[in-house]
Amino acid sequence: MGDIKPPSGAPGAPAAEQREYFSDDPRDIGWVRQNVPCQTACPAGTNVPVYIREIIERQYGRSYETNREANVLPGVLGRICSRPCEAQCRHGWPGNGEPVAICHLKRVAADMKDAGHRITESLYSPTGKRVAIVGAGPAGVAAAHDLSLLGHDVVIFEREERAGGMLRYGIPEFRLPRGTLDIELHNALRLGVQMRTGAEIGNGAGQIPMAKLEKEFDAVLLATGCMAASPLPLQGDWDKRELRGLEGVEYGLDFLVQMHRGVKKVVGKRVAVVGAGFTALDCARVAARLGAQDVTIHIRTAEEYIPVTQEEIFEAKREGVRIKGLRTPVGLAVDGNRLTGIEFVQNRLGGWRAGGRRQAIPIEGSEFHEPCDTIIIAIGQQTVNDFLGTGLELDRWGNVRVGEDGMTSHKGLFAAGDYVNGASTVIQAVGHGRKVAKRIDAWLMGRERRKQVVRIVPVAQPLRERAFDFIPRQHMPVAPLGERMKDGAHEVELGLDEKLAFEEAKRCYLCNLRYQIDVDRCIFCRACIEVAPRNCIKLVRGVEVNDDGAYGKLLETKEWNQVGAIWIDNNECIRCGQCFKACPVQCISITRCELTEVEV
Amino acid sequence: MTKTKNVRHHVVIGSGVAGSQAAETLREREPDARVTILTLSSLLFYNRYDLPKVFRGHRDWREFLAFPAEYYKDHRIEVRRCSRVAGVDGSRRTIALEHKEEIRFDTLLVASGGRGYIPEELADFRPLMHPFSSYTEAVTAAGVVPERGHVIMLGGDMIGLDLARTLVDTRHRVTLVAGPQTFWPHEVDEDERPGLIAALEKMGVEVVEAADAGGIASIEQGARGLSARRVLFKDGTELYGDVVMPFFGLSPSVEFMLGSGTDIERGLLVNPALRTTGEGIYAAGDVCQIWSDAEKRYRFFYGWKNVRAMGELAARNITGGDEPWVPVQDEKLRIDGQGKLQSPFWEYE
Repeated sequence: MGDIKPPSGAPGAPAAEQREYFSDDPRDIGWVRQNVPCQTACPAGTNVPVYIREIIERQYGRSYETNREANVLPGVLGRICSRPCEAQCRHGWPGNGEPVAICHLKRVAADMKDAGHRITESLYSPTGKRVAIVGAGPAGVAAAHDLSLLGHDVVIFEREERAGGMLRYGIPEFRLPRGTLDIELHNALRLGVQMRTGAEIGNGAGQIPMAKLEKEFDAVLLATGCMAASPLPLQGDWDKRELRGLEGVEYGLDFLVQMHRGVKKVVGKRVAVVGAGFTALDCARVAARLGAQDVTIHIRTAEEYIPVTQEEIFEAKREGVRIKGLRTPVGLAVDGNRLTGIEFVQNRLGGWRAGGRRQAIPIEGSEFHEPCDTIIIAIGQQTVNDFLGTGLELDRWGNVRVGEDGMTSHKGLFAAGDYVNGASTVIQAVGHGRKVAKRIDAWLMGRERRKQVVRIVPVAQPLRERAFDFIPRQHMPVAPLGERMKDGAHEVELGLDEKLAFEEAKRCYLCNLRYQIDVDRCIFCRACIEVAPRNCIKLVRGVEVNDDGAYGKLLETKEWNQVGAIWIDNNECIRCGQCFKACPVQCISITRCELTEVEV
Repeated sequence: MTKTKNVRHHVVIGSGVAGSQAAETLREREPDARVTILTLSSLLFYNRYDLPKVFRGHRDWREFLAFPAEYYKDHRIEVRRCSRVAGVDGSRRTIALEHKEEIRFDTLLVASGGRGYIPEELADFRPLMHPFSSYTEAVTAAGVVPERGHVIMLGGDMIGLDLARTLVDTRHRVTLVAGPQTFWPHEVDEDERPGLIAALEKMGVEVVEAADAGGIASIEQGARGLSARRVLFKDGTELYGDVVMPFFGLSPSVEFMLGSGTDIERGLLVNPALRTTGEGIYAAGDVCQIWSDAEKRYRFFYGWKNVRAMGELAARNITGGDEPWVPVQDEKLRIDGQGKLQSPFWEYE
């Protein structure tokens, strides 16, 4: 058990420390990780409370830059992020209401910043090192941006005609306007990154061999994503049968990529989409826009377990898409070469699979038929490795095996994003791209150049009102059905206006505010406990310290003779500020704690 | 030394047909148990099928109650009205109410029923529609329709069509905007449909097929001096009426069960004994999908007779039984000798 004195800089520390300072104390780093759940959940580590606070202050440009420190595509992610932060938001915890619309607020920062807004970048002097990146998707672009800031010369090799990867070729324009994408890609890559589009890596005619890249560059990063659609496993006569070529059969990823390459796509009147992710939902919504009269998404489990936001599901339903659960396709029905329907088997729900997905267990003898003209198969994506030809070690899923430092079995050859992790989300790809970029830099330079610390800033008074806790989540305005269905480019979500944004931003608890009681000055009057809206102020005899040095479990007591301190349980605290206002001896302090990086 | 008797606490969420029947059976079969009904409603149990009476001038809430308040007192059934369940923790066997109270249960029966479903594409027009799924909504709707007024009924469904019978009988004009849910929950073949629509017309209901007009584009408030509502179709045609009432079937009220540890597809998934996958948690009525061995699928069973039987069965199984569900009512829609539509769901006691 560790002592319960507050860390340096807190009340009780020498007066000279009562100002902004940086800490690498594991208790401080651990505090942020434990107490700012949105930032911890974000694969890119976005400093959510700070950018939301800046929206309250109507500092949209600054809020955008706070986002950009972690994620170079705030306007893009503000539209299409899978929002792992919102799933962890303290406001969404039991009894606290709905999570803050963190993603919509990110978009607010991007959309409302001034025209001609000044981008802030910390440039390092040139290193003379050359890095090749294969793939201009989110992981590749994020890595290219960071490596170019760090002074390396970066060249991206992209097989498509334009940069963006899945963002451009896999996500429909009604969710992600290409103007927004183009501006943010341009911002990310304009610091000297060379973009070579139409450049395919491989050993065929007109292709660039991997060996050549490895020879000509100091480091190579593979970030080609998962660009092959997974085949649909069927049974009986259909087991392992090639479905491509059947009239009415489409693979979701190919369907979207071809459409975004400019190929005119056609679907039948009755469209069945098989799959449960964003790609499945996107395909269904595209099919509705292409004129299908009946679009149904067939899923193995239930709607509750689809890894897609509720808002997306609602908007898809509004566009006429239906979702039917507890079914797995086992075969197709065809008339000659033309699809006429799908044979399904009924499922029941099983236990949980690794990775948090629910199992579906087929029920023997429960087969049934659903007629359709088009099936769009969107059950997942996988990597393509045939372009490598370099004998890299692969794992059992066929993904490239990488070490802790992101390096493959070839010295100087790194891999990032979905190409390593399998199909994931855009924010995961961005986060991983940045992480591997940092490791490439350390490898090239022979040392870590930046390290993570906590910036601690004293705050004079609570930044929230208790009334803010009762503001309901603000809903995203959307385009009327009649307008949005006219073409595939009409953006559905219109963005929060300034008033809605302000209301929504006020809902954020600002979890990065640390409330602490100075034990030496506390008179144990219990006034703070009386006004606390939750069980957040506790009598403790001590606090455990975890193996990593961060604070652990509070050792609560009800015996006054054992009380070592009155402790604010920041896990329960909703930063309402009532305790601060009630304290008669001003022994409660507030500091803002945020993760940042400094030079080593 | 006296021994304290172990009294179980049976909690029922929902005070409709299934919940009320279950509470009564629980009391009969376990006289010492504590039985609590949690309901969102401010009224004690009433039959939803009685609601069309509001258009015949019956609007006093006391006329609708199935039992007087003394009934609950005499049967020692505690009814907690205006109680919204925020969540259920199956592992701790607790129910969290929205006002932060926690209730412990030994067994739980979820009989929260369904609410009127409004298709997502019409969700924006919700403020301009008058639903009809509770006493309060029924009285509100009746209050805005003038004598011999014009009711535009969207969808249909057997709850709406039942109301349409009363409205026609009380000399209101009824226009049905028909669609896929018109005969919900009956499953109707395409070749049966024209005959059934004709039967509706014979009953005095005007029918507009939504699909023929390209679907509903919008619902608007009528301008001053015109009817109160306008329904605009995608082909440019329009309908004017005094009130627009949505009837698109029911959507199970299961939101509060998310995260409870019980399986949900559209409704709570239960085995033939009406047990959910949560220990000690049962479900009955419009909220549950029952596994049918014969059909090899989970399915809903509707109609108040079925729902009442489910409530009774669930209570029997909660109190030691292990009987499977057997539907008690016919589900076939038919046309009677006078050419009028008849549904078994309209056969009330």
